[in-house]
Amino acid sequence: MSSPSLTLPSPGPAAARKRRLLEILGAVAIAGTYVYLVLNQPTDITGGPGSASALIALSGFLVGAVLLIVAVLPTLPASTVVLIPVALVLNIVLGQFVGSTLVPFYLDAIGTVLIAVLAGPAAGAATGALSSIVWSFFNPTVLPFAAGAALIGCLAGLAARHGMFRRFYLAPVAGFVTGIIGGVVSAPVAAFVFGGTSGVATGAIVSAFRSMGDTLLAAITKQALISDPMDKAIVFTVVAVLVYALPRRTRLQFPFIRRHRVLAGQASNEARTQAAAATTGSPAQPTGQGS
Amino acid sequence: MRLNPLTSLALAGATAVITTAAASWPLSLAVAAAALALAVRGGIARRLLPAAAAVLVPLCLSLLIMHGLFFPEGWTVLVQWGPARITVEGLAFALERAAQIAAAVLALLVFSFSVHVPDLVAALSARGVQGRFAFVLASTLTLLPAVTSRVHRIRQAQESRGLVIRPGLLHRATAFRLQAVPLVLSLIEEAGTRAAALEARGFSNTGPRTSYRAVPDSRLQRTLRAVLVLAATAAVAARLWLGRAGT
Amino acid sequence: MAEAHNSEGIQDHGDAQDPAQPILSAGIRTFTFPDDGVPVLRGIDLAFLPGTLTVVLGPSGSGKSTLGRLLAGWLPPGGGGTLHGFLELAGTRLHFGGADHPPGPRINPSAWGRQVGFVPQDPASVLSTVKATVAEELAFGLENAAVGRAAMTAAVEQTAALVGLTELLEHNPVQLSGGQLRRLAIGCAVIAGPRILIMDEPFASLDSAGSARLAGLVRKLVKRGTAVVIFSQVVDAPLLEAGTWLVLAEGSIRAGGTPAELLARPGMLPAGIRYPSGPSGPGQDEAPPTAPLKPHVQPRRQATPAAPALELRELSFSYGAGDRTPRRRIRRRGAAHEPQGTPPPEVLKGISLAVHAGEIVAVTGPNGAGKSTLLRHLNGLLRPTSGQILVGGVEIAGTPAGVVAQRVGLLFQQPRDQLFERTALREVHFGLDQLYSSTEAGERASTALETVGLAGSAHGHPVELPASSQRLLALATVLARNPSVLALDEPTVALDGNGLARLDAAVGAAAEEGAAVVLVTHDLTYARRMAHRVVTLEGGQLLP
Repeated sequence: MSSPSLTLPSPGPAAARKRRLLEILGAVAIAGTYVYLVLNQPTDITGGPGSASALIALSGFLVGAVLLIVAVLPTLPASTVVLIPVALVLNIVLGQFVGSTLVPFYLDAIGTVLIAVLAGPAAGAATGALSSIVWSFFNPTVLPFAAGAALIGCLAGLAARHGMFRRFYLAPVAGFVTGIIGGVVSAPVAAFVFGGTSGVATGAIVSAFRSMGDTLLAAITKQALISDPMDKAIVFTVVAVLVYALPRRTRLQFPFIRRHRVLAGQASNEARTQAAAATTGSPAQPTGQGS
Repeated sequence: MRLNPLTSLALAGATAVITTAAASWPLSLAVAAAALALAVRGGIARRLLPAAAAVLVPLCLSLLIMHGLFFPEGWTVLVQWGPARITVEGLAFALERAAQIAAAVLALLVFSFSVHVPDLVAALSARGVQGRFAFVLASTLTLLPAVTSRVHRIRQAQESRGLVIRPGLLHRATAFRLQAVPLVLSLIEEAGTRAAALEARGFSNTGPRTSYRAVPDSRLQRTLRAVLVLAATAAVAARLWLGRAGT
Repeated sequence: MAEAHNSEGIQDHGDAQDPAQPILSAGIRTFTFPDDGVPVLRGIDLAFLPGTLTVVLGPSGSGKSTLGRLLAGWLPPGGGGTLHGFLELAGTRLHFGGADHPPGPRINPSAWGRQVGFVPQDPASVLSTVKATVAEELAFGLENAAVGRAAMTAAVEQTAALVGLTELLEHNPVQLSGGQLRRLAIGCAVIAGPRILIMDEPFASLDSAGSARLAGLVRKLVKRGTAVVIFSQVVDAPLLEAGTWLVLAEGSIRAGGTPAELLARPGMLPAGIRYPSGPSGPGQDEAPPTAPLKPHVQPRRQATPAAPALELRELSFSYGAGDRTPRRRIRRRGAAHEPQGTPPPEVLKGISLAVHAGEIVAVTGPNGAGKSTLLRHLNGLLRPTSGQILVGGVEIAGTPAGVVAQRVGLLFQQPRDQLFERTALREVHFGLDQLYSSTEAGERASTALETVGLAGSAHGHPVELPASSQRLLALATVLARNPSVLALDEPTVALDGNGLARLDAAVGAAAEEGAAVVLVTHDLTYARRMAHRVVTLEGGQLLP
C-alpha cells in the first residue's frame, strides 16, 4: 500500500476475516450479557445494591457495541462514513420534529434506519451504536442503549436486504418486529442500569405492571413491548417514504441498494445485471494498464 | 496546566465507572456535588445545568413514581392506597439509583461541556477506528446547528410556496414529508460530494498521519490516564467479584 | 505512500515535466449512470497540457459536472457509472469497460486527487466539517499524507497567501462568505500541488470583486505550470483569456478552438451558453426567443382603487427584534459560533416603496446589503420592527406567510428547498386543487410548466433536472398560483442562456397580465435591461 498507484488493490480475505471475527465477538458479548442478565435477575433486584448487574449490563452491552464499531467502522467506504453524521443529525432533528408534532414516541432512529436501508446491516449497526455514543455527549444516559440501537440498525438493514422495503406495507411490519426484538434486548439496561425508564409516561406504564406484582425486568420488558414496536413501525414507514422520494440516481449510487434490489421497481433486467457485475465483481481486473 | 482532552475524558469516565461500581449513596452525592462545584468554577454551570436537568428530572421523577409507589419487594409500608403502597425499601431504592445516575451523568457532562472539541478530535489519532470515530463526532457537532437552520430555511421556502401547516394529524404528516424530503435529499447528496472530496484528500489512507493542531500532553498525563483506566477496571472487577461472592 | 509528494516541494512541481506531454487525457466512448439507458457522455476526447487554461462551455444539463467529476476521480467508474473508454493521468492509462472485464480497474481517489484537484459547484460541500479553522481545513489533506508539521505550516501559509485567505486562517470555515469559501475550496484542492486543477462553475454567484480575485488566482496557477480546466455555462470575462474553448452539448464535444475562433464563427456556441452582459452574445445571430422585456404597457393603474399592488411604508428591521429565528433547542456549544451578545444593527432603515400592477422593479446593491432580507418581508417571512407592508392595499401584518403567499409568490435562490415531489408535474400541481377546481388545477399546472419550457420534463424527478431547470420549476410552482406580486431573489443565478430567456419571457408575461414584480439582483446590467425602475439598497436605505 506504499506505492502511489492510481488504482486500488482488491480487498484481501484476511481483513474480511478479522472484521467478521470482531462482529461475532460483539454479537456474542451482547447476546451473552442479555442471557446472563435474564437468568440472574430475580435475586439481584431485591437483595443488595444491584449494581453488579448494572455493571454487567453496562460493560457487556458497551463492550459489544464498541466491538461492533471497531469491526465495522474502518471497513466502511468513505461514502458511508460521511453519511453517519448525517444520520445522527437526522435522528435528532427529524425525531424532534415528529416527536413534537405527530405522536408521543421517541422516533429517535430515523437516521439509523435510513442508513441501514441505504448501506446495509453492518453500516446500520455501526450507525446505531455511534448514535448512542455521540448523543451521550449531551445525555450520558443513552450510552448504555448503544447495543440496542446497534441491533435496530442491523435488523433494519437485514429487513431491507430481504426485500421488506420493496412493498410499502411490509416496512411497518418489519419495523414492528424489529421493535419487539430491540425492546426486549434493551429492557435489561433500563431495569438494571437505571432501575426504570427515563420518561414519566413510560414510567407510569411500568408502575402499572409493577403494581400487579411483576419483577422490574418483566415490567419494563412489557412496557417496551407496548411502545417500541409501534415506535419502530412508524420509523420504518417514515424511512420508506423518504427513500422512495429519493431520485433514482441518488438511490442507485448505493451499492447495497443495487446489489440486493432493496427498493421496488428500480431496475430493468439488463441494467440490473450490469450494475451487479459492476459492484460484485470484487477482484477488479485491470483490462490493461499502459506504460 | 491545560489538560489533554483524553485525560479529562479518562477522569470523567473513571469517576462515572467507580461511582457506579461503588454503589454507595454518600459517595454518589459527594461526586455529584464535586462535579457541580467544578462546573461552577469552570464557568460552564449555566450551560450544564439545563442539560443535566433535562436528563435527570424526568428520570428521577419516573424512578420516584415507579418505586416510591409500587415496589412489590418492599415490606416496610408507610402508606397504602389501593394497589399503590409507599415502602421504605422502594423509596430507598429510587433515591439510591437517582443519586448514582446523577453522579455519573454530571461527571460525564462536565467533561463534554468543558472539552474543546477540535482538541479532542486532534487528540484521537486520525487513524483507523479512532480517526473515523472522531470524524463522526466532530462532523455531527458541526452539522447539527447547520441542519437546524436549514430546516428553518426549508420551512420558509415552503411557506413562500403557499403551504400552511394546518392542525390535524394528516396535515402534519404531509407537512413532515414536505420538509423532510428536501432536507434528507440535500443532505444525502451533499454527503456524496463530501465523501468524494474527502477521499481525494486522503481520508481513507491507511498509512501514518500527522496533526496540524498541537494538543498539550505530558508523560504525567499519560501515566495518569493509564492509572485511571486501571482503577476503573479494578473497581468493576472488584464489584463483580464481591457481587458474585455476596449472592 | 507519498514520495512524489513529500520530497518535492508542496506547491511547485513545475519544471520537471514535459510541456508537450498532456497531464490528463481522456477518451470517453460512453459513460452511463447505473440503470440509465442512455449514456450521459459520449464521444469525448480530451487532453490537457501543463500551464494552459482550458474552458469547457456547455449549457445546463450538458454533462459538464459529470465530465468534471469523472476526470477528477470523484465519480469513479464502476460504482458511479459505467465507462467505456480510458483515462490517462501522468502517463498511466487506465482502460475501462472492455467487453471481457466489465468493471475495469478501481481508481484510487487519494492518489488521483494528489495530481488532479477538483472544485465542485458548491464549495461548502468539500469542507471536511471536522476542522475548526481555515488553517486546519487546508492542512487536512497534508495530515492524511503524514506531512511533517513544519512543512505543513509552511504549505498552509503559502497556500493561504496564494488564495488570499491569510487573514482568515484562524476563522471557522462556517463563517466564510461565498467567495471566501470558494477560495478555501480551491486552496484545499491545490495545497497538495496537483498538476491539474478542474473547477466547476467557479465564477457563479461571485460579485465583480470576487471574480477579479479568482481570475488573478487562475492566472497565477497557470503561470506556475498547472493545467487549469474550467467548466462553465456563462462566458465570464476571465474565460476569454483561455487558450482553448471546448463546447459541450448533450454529452459530447461539439466544437473546440481558441476563444477568438469560436466567437468569430456564428452559431458555434449553443444558445444555452450565456453571456453576462446580455442574452445575445457576440457571434450569435439568432438570439434565443426572448419575450418583450419591459412590457411596453405602462404599468397599469388598476381601474378599481389605485392602490399599488405592493407598498412598503417606512419599513425598518433589525435581526433579533421580532424575527422568527428558530429557537435553537439543540444548540451546540463550540461548534456553533452564532452571533450573540452585541445589539443587532438595523438592516433596513425606513424603506418606502410602491410597486404598481404590471411594473417591474429591480433592487440592486452590494452583497450583504440586506436585499434578501427586504424580499423576505414582502410575504411576511420576516416581520418589520416598524412600518407597514400592504399587498393590494391590505396590510399583511398578522397574516401567516403561507396565506400571504397566495398573493405574493417568492422565489428563493436555492430552488431545492422548495421542491419535494416525485415528478415536476406533481410538484407544480401540489396544492393547486385547493385553490381551483381539479380540471383547472391540472390545466394551470401544465400551462405553468409550458411557460417555463419544462413541458418535456413533466414526469422527470425535480431533483434530477439540471440546476437551471430546477429554478424554472420553482418559478412554475409560483406562477401556477397566479400571484399579484412576484418577488425573485437573484433570478439569474444558476440559469443558463435558455433558462434566462425563459425566465425573462415568464416574468414579462406575468407583468403584462398585471403582476407587480420585484427582483433582487447583484447584476446591474440585468436589472437595467429587465426592470422599469432600478433602485439601490445601500446602508439599509433605498436610493433611486
